[in-house]
Amino acid sequence: MATLTVPALRTRTPAVLRNRAVGKLLLLALITAVLLPLLHGRTWPHHLTVSLTQPLTSASNWIIDNRDTHPLFLYFFGYISNAVVLAVRAVYVALLALGWPGVTALGALVAWRVAGPRLAAGTAVAFLACGALGMWEPTMQTLALMVAAVLASVLVGTALGLAGGLSPRLDRALRPVLDTMQVLPAFAYLLPVVLVFGIGVPAAVLATVVYAAPPMARLTALGLRGADPEVLEAVESLGATRRQRLLTARIPLARKELLLGLNQTIMMALSMAVIASVIGAGGLGDRVYQALSTVDVGQALAAGIPIVLLAVVLDRVTGAAGADGAKGPRTIGWPYALAVTAAAALAARLLGVLDWPNGWSVQIAAPVNRAVDWMTGHLYSGVPVIGGTADWAAHFTTWVLDPIRDGLQWLPWWSLLLIVAALAWVIGTWRTALTAVLAMAAIGVLGVWEPSLDTLSQVLAAVAVTLVLGFATGIAAARSDRVERALRPVLDVFQTMPQFVYLIPVVALFGVGRAPAVAAAVVYALPAVIRITTQGLRQVDPAALESARSLGATGRQQLWQVQLPLARRALLLAVNQGVVLVLAVVIIGGLVGGGSLGYNVAFGLAQGDLATGLVAGAAIVCLGLMLDRVTQPTERRPGKGA
Amino acid sequence: MSTTTPVPTRKPPTAQDEAPVFSVSGLWKVFGPKPERVPADPELGALDAAELRARTGCTAAVRDVSFDVRKGEVFVVMGLSGSGKSTLVRCLTRLIEPTAGTIAIDGEDVRAMDRTRLRELRRHRAAMVFQHFGLLPHRTVLDNVAYGLEIQGVGKAERRERAAEIVAKVGLEGMEHRRPGQLSGGQRQRVGLARALAVDPEVLLFDEPFSALDPLIRRDMQDEVARLHEEEGRTMVFITHDLSEALKLGDRIALMRDGQVVQLGTPEEIVGSPADDYVREFVRDVPREQVLTARTAMRPASLGESAEGPALTPDATVSEAIEAVARTGSPARVMDHGKCLGVVDHEQLLGVVAGVPVAPAAGPRATPEAV
Repeated sequence: MATLTVPALRTRTPAVLRNRAVGKLLLLALITAVLLPLLHGRTWPHHLTVSLTQPLTSASNWIIDNRDTHPLFLYFFGYISNAVVLAVRAVYVALLALGWPGVTALGALVAWRVAGPRLAAGTAVAFLACGALGMWEPTMQTLALMVAAVLASVLVGTALGLAGGLSPRLDRALRPVLDTMQVLPAFAYLLPVVLVFGIGVPAAVLATVVYAAPPMARLTALGLRGADPEVLEAVESLGATRRQRLLTARIPLARKELLLGLNQTIMMALSMAVIASVIGAGGLGDRVYQALSTVDVGQALAAGIPIVLLAVVLDRVTGAAGADGAKGPRTIGWPYALAVTAAAALAARLLGVLDWPNGWSVQIAAPVNRAVDWMTGHLYSGVPVIGGTADWAAHFTTWVLDPIRDGLQWLPWWSLLLIVAALAWVIGTWRTALTAVLAMAAIGVLGVWEPSLDTLSQVLAAVAVTLVLGFATGIAAARSDRVERALRPVLDVFQTMPQFVYLIPVVALFGVGRAPAVAAAVVYALPAVIRITTQGLRQVDPAALESARSLGATGRQQLWQVQLPLARRALLLAVNQGVVLVLAVVIIGGLVGGGSLGYNVAFGLAQGDLATGLVAGAAIVCLGLMLDRVTQPTERRPGKGA
Repeated sequence: MSTTTPVPTRKPPTAQDEAPVFSVSGLWKVFGPKPERVPADPELGALDAAELRARTGCTAAVRDVSFDVRKGEVFVVMGLSGSGKSTLVRCLTRLIEPTAGTIAIDGEDVRAMDRTRLRELRRHRAAMVFQHFGLLPHRTVLDNVAYGLEIQGVGKAERRERAAEIVAKVGLEGMEHRRPGQLSGGQRQRVGLARALAVDPEVLLFDEPFSALDPLIRRDMQDEVARLHEEEGRTMVFITHDLSEALKLGDRIALMRDGQVVQLGTPEEIVGSPADDYVREFVRDVPREQVLTARTAMRPASLGESAEGPALTPDATVSEAIEAVARTGSPARVMDHGKCLGVVDHEQLLGVVAGVPVAPAAGPRATPEAV
């Protein structure tokens, strides 16, 4: 018998184990079975937590006590802080000195120079709209902060990128750090800078720089590394020095990547400059923040529209600068542009209209609020058959969010770790699985297991909705050129908008709570998911599709048997991007009643209780890391700019 | 091998006693961990590629190669891909650092040069033309051609003026202000050629310059190089995998296989007397009558033959001889400065075409240079 069973086993066992996913899962199950006696309890065991409240509070107290006396602050952070304040103030004063005619003229002429007359007109209209909404001053404040932050980001990012582009060793060291920074929610950056600099403009600018510099660094390094090796060899064969090679070949060859990096940096800086209103950035973001905290949708919209206009204009103009052949014959010279700007500013000064005239403003807050009131009265609930928006939100909370949250919190903590490990390992490598499990465990150790699971439940619900909608729309767009053409401008606009402004419409529609936070996250993440899905499906090898068609496959068969399997990598990337983007907004949703981690951060900032905020911030970082690693396909590509 | 007809544009190589431009001896380039032990150890050096890889993890791209490049000649290095020819040409100016051996340019040791001296070598003495052109896409044609001069620190007006001359010389007038992206492949390689010429180098190095081009354009470019060589007499080292190109352009050809030179000689020698089966297989389809000359094919004249019949120069190809013999129906005399060296008749010529040696009757084989 034995002689018979052995070969039978030998042929059968590998057949099961040959599937690597099954093997990995079996191994994990084995580890759990061994460790099971040690594991008990549902929530994270108390003796495994490390309370950081005490040391963090004393650290933050120490910093507050010594901020004015300790040499580290006096001679290092103090100088940085002063320099930032001076720079922002200088730009702001310059903008005010130009007055609205000067700034509008300058913006339009710069746009004309780099992107042509159409965008110039768009820029002028956008600036005038900011003024007409009564938001000229906050717009200039935001712009001043942006200019200072973007300059610093570009300097820092280019320096890091040059280092990474020229030295492979530095590149290897920098890349994982930059990659990780890219996936963390913006909110996580706020607290460490507040700890050092206190609430105010310097903290806001530095948080913006930290958030916005990585894409510049990544793309600079990418551009320098991606230079055609034969061109570099040709340059070397002509006897160029290292300096000559860098200046005449490598940097010009990386022009496209550098400009793309500038574009992404500007967009991320805008996004962060708005969010940083929570730590004292002032400007448009502050107006939105203040308005949202009193659920004044009209005011929030009046400040939100300039943000969107600014975002669209900045994105289009810098994007056009990167595209070749944008310069038509109708472009104008810099001296001419500067002269016109100066003339406009001077004329405004002489006419005394430097400030936006009061009478020219349109108050949209009141009518918008009336509309919202009407919506509250008529659409929130009790609409026959379809119910109301508030009803939907309530149902979503009761039927989706609560069960997911309760389910997660009901699951034993070790089984959650196990699920995380299994998912990450099956999709990625053991390395990503290990990072994910460690990040998840760190959340428990930090003592914020329950609120983190609350946040996680919102993320999961939002991701599920995003993926269902995104894949469906993406498939439709991939199969029909008409749908894609119709979607493209919408996606373009949605992808450029800062995260913060998504909160405005959802508050108007659904009020405050967890459901609106999820809705905002879905709307924010949807464009990227749709776009990646569409691109992935469209890039499927046409020969494979043609051969399927020649065999008589139906449209459905083509989709399920050819397109979706071949686009697997793009779909995984879409999931990954969706998760990262959803998390960012779910966290911000803490400002509109999302609760849990995001609320802890906001609460910590508002109450000066930095310990609570920092612990929540660290948990956000861990959650972000975990979610990214769990969904990380083996190779990544840079995703959406925001 | 190829359908394009080799046209004998070769000039006789210059005198042998003149000092060589490049003198390479015992050159090795080994890629991999601790490469220097491979040339140092004769036992390792004798291994074939697979064994060497298994034993040491190294790959020897160039193995113990020696040759001289004479002033004014077109020296062709030819071999299939992976034979080490591109690595070899890059070793000449140390774009790839050789592992062992010596390289001398005009008697000066290249491997001993410091960075400044090496840069001088690259700037003024040897310029290279690349397979995929290696042009700077953000510069105009004129600025690409002037780039080498810019690197040297030549002023803007002067370098543009000189670049404009060269642009005209390679037939790109009127395209000075286009970008490389707006040019065809052949035009781009003309820019690459012009860029190399603009620095007026002593030696031009070509790394498979025409293999990315269409066949017709390739022939144009080969004619262009042949013309330039005829006009200027500049020394050229030409890397190619195309046998007909090698035969057409080369004064001498080094045939490489697995990093080694398997035969070095004139095209006539390579085709007429292949060193081994590999070379024989390589040149099998070459139209021999267009490469071999009357000098190789002739036999000593017998009495009376040296006085009559059509006359040919010793460098006339066999196909020309065939035409002459066919027209007159009598053996042709091979005349050098009024002296009859020998005669060719039907028998010799058919022997050449068929690749069958008519050895006993043939005269002393002309081997103007030893390998």
